[in-house]
Amino acid sequence: MNQLDFDGLLTFWQQRSGDILDMAFQHIAVVAVALMIAVVIGVGVGMLVWDRPVPRSAVIASAGVALTIPSLALLAILVPAFGLGWVPTLIALVLYSLLPIVRNTVVGLRAVPPAVMESAKGMGMNPLGVLVGVQLPMAWPIILTGVRVAAQLTIGTAAIAAYVAGPGLGQYIFKGLASLGSKNALNLALTGTIGIVILALIVDAIFVFIARYTTSRGLRA
Amino acid sequence: MKRFTTPIVVVLVLGVLLIWLSSLTLDSIEQRTLNVGYIVERTREHLGLTIATSALVAVLAIPTGIALTRTRSRLVRATVLGIANIGQATPAVGVIILLAILWQTGYSTALVALVIYSFLPVLSNTMTGLQQVDEGVRESAKGMGMTPNQVLLRIELPIAAPVILAGLRTSIVFSVGAATIATFINAGGLGDMIVNGLTLQRFPVLITGAVLVACIALSLDWIAGVAEDLLRPRGI
Amino acid sequence: MHKPEDTAILQIARNTSGAQIVLDQVTKTYPHQPTSAVENFSMTAEPGELIMFVGPSGCGKTTTMKMINRIIEPTSGSIRIDGRDVLSLDPNELRRHIGYVIQQIGLFPHMTIAENIAVVPKLLGWTKSRINARVDELLETVKLDPTKFSHRYPKQLSGGQQQRVGVARALAADPPVMLMDEPFGATDPITRESLQAEFLRLQESLGKTIIFVTHDFDEAVRLGDRIAVLSERSQIEQFDTPANILAAPANDYVSSFIGHGAAIKRLVLIPVTEAKLGPIGDAEAGPITVSIADSLRDALDALVLSGAPALMVVNAAKKPIGSITVERISAVLGADIPDVQGAGLVSASGAGR
Ligand SMILES: Nc1ncnc2c1ncn2[C@@H]1O[C@H](COP(=O)(O)OP(=O)(O)O)[C@@H](O)[C@H]1O
Ligand SMILES: [Mg+2]
Repeated sequence: MNQLDFDGLLTFWQQRSGDILDMAFQHIAVVAVALMIAVVIGVGVGMLVWDRPVPRSAVIASAGVALTIPSLALLAILVPAFGLGWVPTLIALVLYSLLPIVRNTVVGLRAVPPAVMESAKGMGMNPLGVLVGVQLPMAWPIILTGVRVAAQLTIGTAAIAAYVAGPGLGQYIFKGLASLGSKNALNLALTGTIGIVILALIVDAIFVFIARYTTSRGLRA
Repeated sequence: MKRFTTPIVVVLVLGVLLIWLSSLTLDSIEQRTLNVGYIVERTREHLGLTIATSALVAVLAIPTGIALTRTRSRLVRATVLGIANIGQATPAVGVIILLAILWQTGYSTALVALVIYSFLPVLSNTMTGLQQVDEGVRESAKGMGMTPNQVLLRIELPIAAPVILAGLRTSIVFSVGAATIATFINAGGLGDMIVNGLTLQRFPVLITGAVLVACIALSLDWIAGVAEDLLRPRGI
Repeated sequence: MHKPEDTAILQIARNTSGAQIVLDQVTKTYPHQPTSAVENFSMTAEPGELIMFVGPSGCGKTTTMKMINRIIEPTSGSIRIDGRDVLSLDPNELRRHIGYVIQQIGLFPHMTIAENIAVVPKLLGWTKSRINARVDELLETVKLDPTKFSHRYPKQLSGGQQQRVGVARALAADPPVMLMDEPFGATDPITRESLQAEFLRLQESLGKTIIFVTHDFDEAVRLGDRIAVLSERSQIEQFDTPANILAAPANDYVSSFIGHGAAIKRLVLIPVTEAKLGPIGDAEAGPITVSIADSLRDALDALVLSGAPALMVVNAAKKPIGSITVERISAVLGADIPDVQGAGLVSASGAGR
């Protein structure tokens, strides 16, 4: 049994503030890199398949399978081939991010009213022009929502990646487990967990902000 | 045809795993874990934890969701949803390990942590499902002389059922995954194989555990999907 | 055995062809609102009467109506059905004997059409065979083939068909009272007209006491036995038959609500047979004829559409019995105006501009 000692926790934070911030930064970094890769792949694949029913459902089903596989299992399967650390972590996070991003890209591109597409075509735009110039901007708010969901997902998953030596605040959680019984165990695990919750909330707020300022004024509710 | 893709894939993957394992010569450490008795026992633990979690979540989260949609107090609703949303952002591994530190290691802790972690999808889907019942439908039911309980049981819950079931399905997938982490606090399950395989550098053990967990997750998700289709009221 | 309120409800329920509804000094003030939505509303609907509440959006029609089945509880005043105070009855029991149709229809999406109609009979504990027979009967009544529609789900029906089911469902337990809140408001004009016509025919045989809310004055004229023209806080500006309201609006508010063309609107109410028909020879034989079942409004429409100076009027057996012209139609109105305040009509059209 371990009691929460609030003063002890504050002292702990003071003493290790540099390291904690460093871990938080690494956590965000790995999530951000994974999201960028996933957006490139996810939006790209979404643009390729959005109006082809068979590849579309195949892609979405496979992305769904990836998301169903438990994170510890996925990370473990990657270790024999890719070793420990950043690489398996990034691959797993990208795989988990794909479903929300691809699905929302497809939904967003398909949600553009046929009348809009027709008038764009009528003005002489070619299909690629319509896709990039009209559909993508109109689908952007929906795609962004997908990225936001993916961000929440990967911030939590990155915690487990610490078990395969992935970067970030998850390391504090596992250090807490490793020192089970010692007086710092609770401080370590609590720091990791609370840190991740705070990161998740901050990132979510950032996405609300991005959505406001990157959505065309005409599309805002 | 589409419906049977998942079971076919699962069977194929398990087949390939079996052929691969039988082509290996196992050392004594690997033999200790890669045998039928050990694997069946871990699988049983894993499924037991998952199913117990899902049953508890269903029994606790659905009534909570119903009660929350019924309360007039905005404060209560906002508080519970606020806590639930923070819960959503809390990593499963954090919940499990914190609870182990604060309380004890073992099965009961894992069960409690898993229930906490898988609670939100069912809670929020119950509330969403009930809230999206058309106001005209609810008013007709009342206007026809149904008591509040009859409106709930005969109209609102059946109409919300698909959304609630979708929440349960998500929560089952969550708990299969979280049950893997139960190994960290000595609550058994297939996570044991993954962690042993990693720490002892025995990749066949690690791969077997991971593939089995993935197959269980896919199968349970598939079964839940089929159940969802069968239980969905026609007409919706 | 029975609680006294049970027997009170049973007595109301037994009176399946129309009960008397009395609203006495009824007021409703919503919480946190500075003014009442309904203030001191008093009205008596006689058994079998079809009463229209008409008025602009937000004037309190719905609130007034919903107090009768206690979906909304009055702040003060009393409401009696066949002399029994509804506020003393169990609201759920009461509602099982009051038909209720709303604009959103509110069919239960997870139940078949038959199950939707069977809801109240089931609540009342009818036997299976009685319920099945009743469902078929009602579907026939609202012109939906039971073999085709019983087992469909609401989403498989068009809007007009759904609204018919809504009416059938409200009639299921043969209630003495029906409350209808803009039931045809969401349908297209053509569907609405046919629903209105069928509804009139239905009411002729059923003779329920009906409170029917609408914001469409033409609908009120077409359907109502009496019309209550309501203004802010559900104040009754005029409560009379459609003919009397059209002929003599009580004040400027009512006139402006009638709008342009009061004379034309009145034609809806007058059968062709009221006109003095001309000789058969006046009209050339043609595809367009007027039936004696039509109103003068229909006759006028036909004249304008065909462009002919006169049209043949035929009886039920399609035998010509006379002819009609625009002059003969206006003669009917002219004959009508002097005996009910010609001045009122003039000021009515004046205020409408
Ligand atoms: N639940 C409510 N709470 C507060 N005010 C309401 C409520 N329902 C209706 N009102 C107000 O009462 C007035 C009458 O509304 P209603 O009876 O719906 O009018 P109508 O049916 O004639 O359009 C309106 O001003 C409306 O805003
Ligand atoms: Mg209204």
